[in-house]
Amino acid sequence: MSRIQIEGLTRRFGQVTAVDHVGIDIPDGDFLVLLGPSGCGKSTLLRMIAGLTPPSDGRILLDGRDITHIPPRDRDLAMVFQSYALYPHLTVARNIGFPLRARRRPRTEIDSRVETVTRVLGLGELLTRRPRELSGGQRQRVALARALVRDPGAFLLDEPLSNLDATLRTATRAELTELHRRLGSTFVHVTHDQVEAMTMATRIAVLNRGRLEQVGTPSEVYDAPATTFVAGFIGSPAMGLLSARLDLVDGGLYARAEGVDLPVGPGDPEDGARQVLVGVRAEHLALVAPSTAPLRGVVRLVENLGSEEVAHCLVGEARLTVRGPRPLGLAAGDSVGLTTDPEHVHLFDPGSGRRLVRTPTPVTAVQS
Amino acid sequence: MLATLAPHEAPPIVDATAVRSPRPRRVGALVPYLYLLPGLALLAVWVYRPLTQTFQISFVSWNLLPTSPARPVGLANYERLFTLPDFGSALGRTAVLILGLLPFTIVVPVVVGLLARRVRGRAATVYQGLVFAPLLVAPVAGAAVWQWLLDPRSGAVNQILGTTVNWLQEPGPAQLAIIVITGWHVLGFAVLVVAAGLAGITDDYAEAAALDGATRGQITRWITLPMLSPTLVFLLLMTVLLAAQWSFPLIDTLTHGGPAGATTNVYYLLWDYGFHSFDAGLGAAAGVIFFLGFGVIAGGLVWLSEKVSIHDN
Ligand SMILES: Nc1ncnc2c1ncn2[C@@H]1O[C@H](COP(=O)(O)OP(=O)(O)OP(=O)(O)O)[C@@H](O)[C@H]1O
Ligand SMILES: [Mg+2]
Repeated sequence: MSRIQIEGLTRRFGQVTAVDHVGIDIPDGDFLVLLGPSGCGKSTLLRMIAGLTPPSDGRILLDGRDITHIPPRDRDLAMVFQSYALYPHLTVARNIGFPLRARRRPRTEIDSRVETVTRVLGLGELLTRRPRELSGGQRQRVALARALVRDPGAFLLDEPLSNLDATLRTATRAELTELHRRLGSTFVHVTHDQVEAMTMATRIAVLNRGRLEQVGTPSEVYDAPATTFVAGFIGSPAMGLLSARLDLVDGGLYARAEGVDLPVGPGDPEDGARQVLVGVRAEHLALVAPSTAPLRGVVRLVENLGSEEVAHCLVGEARLTVRGPRPLGLAAGDSVGLTTDPEHVHLFDPGSGRRLVRTPTPVTAVQS
Repeated sequence: MLATLAPHEAPPIVDATAVRSPRPRRVGALVPYLYLLPGLALLAVWVYRPLTQTFQISFVSWNLLPTSPARPVGLANYERLFTLPDFGSALGRTAVLILGLLPFTIVVPVVVGLLARRVRGRAATVYQGLVFAPLLVAPVAGAAVWQWLLDPRSGAVNQILGTTVNWLQEPGPAQLAIIVITGWHVLGFAVLVVAAGLAGITDDYAEAAALDGATRGQITRWITLPMLSPTLVFLLLMTVLLAAQWSFPLIDTLTHGGPAGATTNVYYLLWDYGFHSFDAGLGAAAGVIFFLGFGVIAGGLVWLSEKVSIHDN
């Protein structure tokens, strides 16, 4: 049972700032997913929580206790490595029992704990094998068992599913979620896979180049991305973004650009003539007759996803994607007209990339 | 009307190789052996031929002079070998030499290697250079310097220790000196081998163990050393097989196997038989016996190293 608080955590490697002033409060029992592209500093952040990489700056609190300079073995955290790091010279049983052996627990207690954990994870037949005699999925489970065996305050998982095939990954995802529900412990799970993040997390923290872009529930992050980076990173196909100028006509705002004349809802006089980035998700775009459509463009490519089709369209300079049931009735080169509801339009500040939200007072950039 | 979908059928593959004449393929199969040929030829000329000749010479009596005839004597050389007292005592001294060298080839390198992992950057390079340097000194040149250092009257060793030992002329001290100088010489090599072995163990294991609650000592005992054991068995094998050879140039320069045979090990003994006593048959017989004995030991150690080697994934 642990709450993890991170304050202004920074790590520099020479010129590179791998993690840049990250602050997150992870309440007890949370399943936090650290999501971001490769090289954004997810592993570095997780390793700092684990105590394997000393931070350059900032603090980490575990249940209110400052653990920034406490060695890993005194942190009461368990970690599953991306490589699993199973001790190759020890049998599965010895691997799983290792954390208890290191803590000098009596033999009988170790045996019974190992027995319980292996029963839960269905590893019974593998106990006398060595890691090299296991499949990737079995290794992953042994690594998990080794983390589970001593009931730690929190679990740190560094891309534990990335070495598994698609089917096994889906199954393991569900199992991890179930495990989290049953244990009620805090989980911090690193991944670059947005599906993993959306399906498993109670909250997602999106990282980009070492900076925290947004923390929120999966629906918050999907429905109200705080920055253009989050908007583009989460969702498949990625949200299309086009730059436009706002125009106020009869109290209603219109986004205008080449091929674009899109109503985006009511507005105030201060909003007129403002440059914005307009984002619409593929599933919120509908096809209409090209002549009168608010968004007019040309189809560049149509992808078949089986149940649906995705059409990539060029509207002015920008790429927008439309998604709909098969067949969409579009082919490359067709002129296309698109429309959407004003409530599904996301507006971003072109300079900072931050989301623009409606406030009772004039529209301003969100502060976070 | 409903008809079942015809199963997918790949078009037949036209076998491109079948069209070609079979000759090139046979040459192709020979290619690897052709590459091996120069190496095999060298082995045959420089290793297998002398080995066979050693076997042959061990059954004759010959004084190494090309003009004098080699007289077949059957097993007489072997009988003589086992009745001479030198043989057993040389074996005993070889065992002492091997045991004496083990601290230099295993214990110190492991300690140095583990400590060196805490040194990073430029300092680590300097440190490794210092440890490795003795290996670059030619054994005979090193021996000359040591002879000077070990001089009973003006040598630095006696001055520093405050002793008056005649290092190279008294049996016990002479053997000790040979062991220490040989150890000093091969230490760098052993440290390098251990460093390579340690570098091959990823940090992941130590990090996982640290998170699992293991102390530094536990990580060393339970993770690092077991994973290093194939390297240690390799060093043990090297020490057992090569100790006598490593010490040979030093013995030949410093003590000539003396005083009173106190530093004569098996390798020096067979050389002595052959090239000092000009008893080629006896030297060859000793060579054959040592070859077989070391072969058995090497086989055992190779088996052991297979057993302890960890296939990291
Ligand atoms: N030990 C190190 N020395 C120097 N630079 C490092 C070190 N570790 C990480 N970095 C750099 O820090 C940045 C973040 O690395 P990190 O491993 O945290 O990325 P990541 O988000 O985990 O990526 P991935 O998804 O590929 O695992 C990268 O630019 C990387 O090159
Ligand atoms: Mg990583």
